[in-house]
Amino acid sequence: MLDQILSVLLLGAVVSAIYALVAIGFTMIFGVGGVLNLAHGGLIMFGAYAYMVLTSSSVVGAIAVPPAAGFVIAVVGTALASYALYAGLVRYIEDNVVITFLSTVMVALLLTNLIHYRFGANPQGTPSVLSGSLHLEGFGTRIGYMYILGFVLSWITIGLLWYYVTQTDEGRSILATSMSERGAQLTGVNLLSVKSRTWLIAGAFAGIAGVILGTVEPTTPQMWLNPLANAFIIVVIGGIGSIKGSVVAAYLIGYLQQFTTEFIGQGYVGIPSLIVLVAVLLLLPEGLYGREFAHE
Amino acid sequence: MSSETGRPSGIASRISGAAGRAGGAALDRLTTVTGPINRALQPLANVYNRLIGGYFGEMNGLQFVLVIGTLVGLLTAPFWGNYALIQAMIAASIWAILAMGWDIQSGYTGYISFGHSVLSGGAGYTTAMLIHNVNPELPMLVTIPVSVLAALGIGLLIALPSLRLSGPYFSLITFVAVLIFYRMMNPLSEYTGGETGLAGVEKIFDITEPVQSYYLFLLPMLAVAVALLIVARSNIGLILLAIRENESAVEAAGINATKFKIWSFMLSSIPMGIGGVLLAHRFGGVDPGSFIVVDNSIEMIAMAVVGGMGSILGPLGGAFFIILMEDIVLHAFGLDAQLRWAILWIIVLLILVFARQGLFRKLWYGLERLGGDRR
Repeated sequence: MLDQILSVLLLGAVVSAIYALVAIGFTMIFGVGGVLNLAHGGLIMFGAYAYMVLTSSSVVGAIAVPPAAGFVIAVVGTALASYALYAGLVRYIEDNVVITFLSTVMVALLLTNLIHYRFGANPQGTPSVLSGSLHLEGFGTRIGYMYILGFVLSWITIGLLWYYVTQTDEGRSILATSMSERGAQLTGVNLLSVKSRTWLIAGAFAGIAGVILGTVEPTTPQMWLNPLANAFIIVVIGGIGSIKGSVVAAYLIGYLQQFTTEFIGQGYVGIPSLIVLVAVLLLLPEGLYGREFAHE
Repeated sequence: MSSETGRPSGIASRISGAAGRAGGAALDRLTTVTGPINRALQPLANVYNRLIGGYFGEMNGLQFVLVIGTLVGLLTAPFWGNYALIQAMIAASIWAILAMGWDIQSGYTGYISFGHSVLSGGAGYTTAMLIHNVNPELPMLVTIPVSVLAALGIGLLIALPSLRLSGPYFSLITFVAVLIFYRMMNPLSEYTGGETGLAGVEKIFDITEPVQSYYLFLLPMLAVAVALLIVARSNIGLILLAIRENESAVEAAGINATKFKIWSFMLSSIPMGIGGVLLAHRFGGVDPGSFIVVDNSIEMIAMAVVGGMGSILGPLGGAFFIILMEDIVLHAFGLDAQLRWAILWIIVLLILVFARQGLFRKLWYGLERLGGDRR
């Protein structure tokens, strides 16, 4: 019983940290541009596959860079992919909400099919950034270093983001745009640059989450769906556009799911979070820290 | 949605605008040829216009020929098509029902649902579960109405909480509905068959009787199309469109928009139920992979968008376009299934960006201009 609780506490913290990364990227794009980026899950998958291709020699040619370098390249690559998605597609259609999110779904499915075609449907393992695991004697539980690294990285990046959006002028213009696009424009904020930076940051977050997810779980062409669904739930519970809300809700959902897995059964994982979601929607339609979605 | 809406939005609209102008000029030149043809056909169309044009909208000669020609083509397909084509057209008929069902809810009200596969999947599963868990001898006369009712019930269950939300929030929740439904499969595998699904549903596609079987799918599709067209062209359809354009104006006019949104969701549950049941009887069973997964909902949306959202007949055409492209045209190139879908998604993406109104709406208005008498 004690080791079960400990395992929930430890694994829950790690899972939640990854969820938070995913949800923050998703909610930032929504908060700043009003764009529902359904290809966000696709970016996570992009990061995971980029890392896999870079680090395992058997996949493409004989490319095999050290895991740490592969990590960095994959994250930068995902950030650039995210920017390319904005600059190449979303920028031209973001005035129409419906067209935008349908297009981003198409991009996600296109990516799924292409990855499926190139790498097959079977789950693939990837070399870990940090192998080995920490054995907690006395509790009878062990936890991979990769999980710990994921947790630490999540908090470092969230901390950096917090510093960026609250302490620097560039970052504050992102925050301002998410509060009022027109107000920000009137004070001389360059919207295009703010949005480009948002997509780059969201892409980098997705990339980090993707590499971590890809190493702790199998990498498959369907891996974009679950993180995206969790990001939805988290963002709605936390309040759209709120970074703080995303972090709080990510931990709420992460722990709830871990608890369900451990004490109720793997098959029921999604259900309690959904009950929480419905309850939040009925009681607080704007989420914990959110504001109403408004057309300006 | 932002202050940027004042200026022409980006390259996409400029390119499509230019293409539209060039195409427009070509159309105008063509009119000299097609105008007389249209005038020759106009008397036929006029008979139709006088009889039922009031319900479905009036057409010119060319449009009339397109509609009648398509209808004749669909009805006579078994006599000229080969086996693969008939198979594809059966699949297209089912998907057309689903795409039209999605359209009357999402295309008309603008509340984009990603969760419609739950409705069709729910109906298919109800049929299979009735046969599997209740009584294998149940006749279709019982299972089909019960399954459609089940789709209605699920529709109400989704609509009531989620229609409190607007815009993207609504889409998010319907997306989540698919995931819930999908995740329920395994814990309830005793009843649902888990990942492998349930078999043993009576197949109504008989390989020895392809002609008869074809009509079992085509006729319900046509019936659904006519019924939805009547609703869409009635005042209800107008209110739904008004909700899409400006919901607060609808409310201000003293109309309860939420009530109509729930109605439209209910209304779309019925075709979804019929489509789901047909799909179950087509395959002789149900499984999560071909009934519930979110890709299914997105395929419906893709079909509706390609054809033209908010037009009923557009999604019908879109379903035939996509299925025939996938099963017949791209198949002929011997491409891998994944690659075929990738190509289809690219086509859909291009249509989304460059022809937001959909292919069939473009075709329809093109014919109207070609008629040459209504500019």
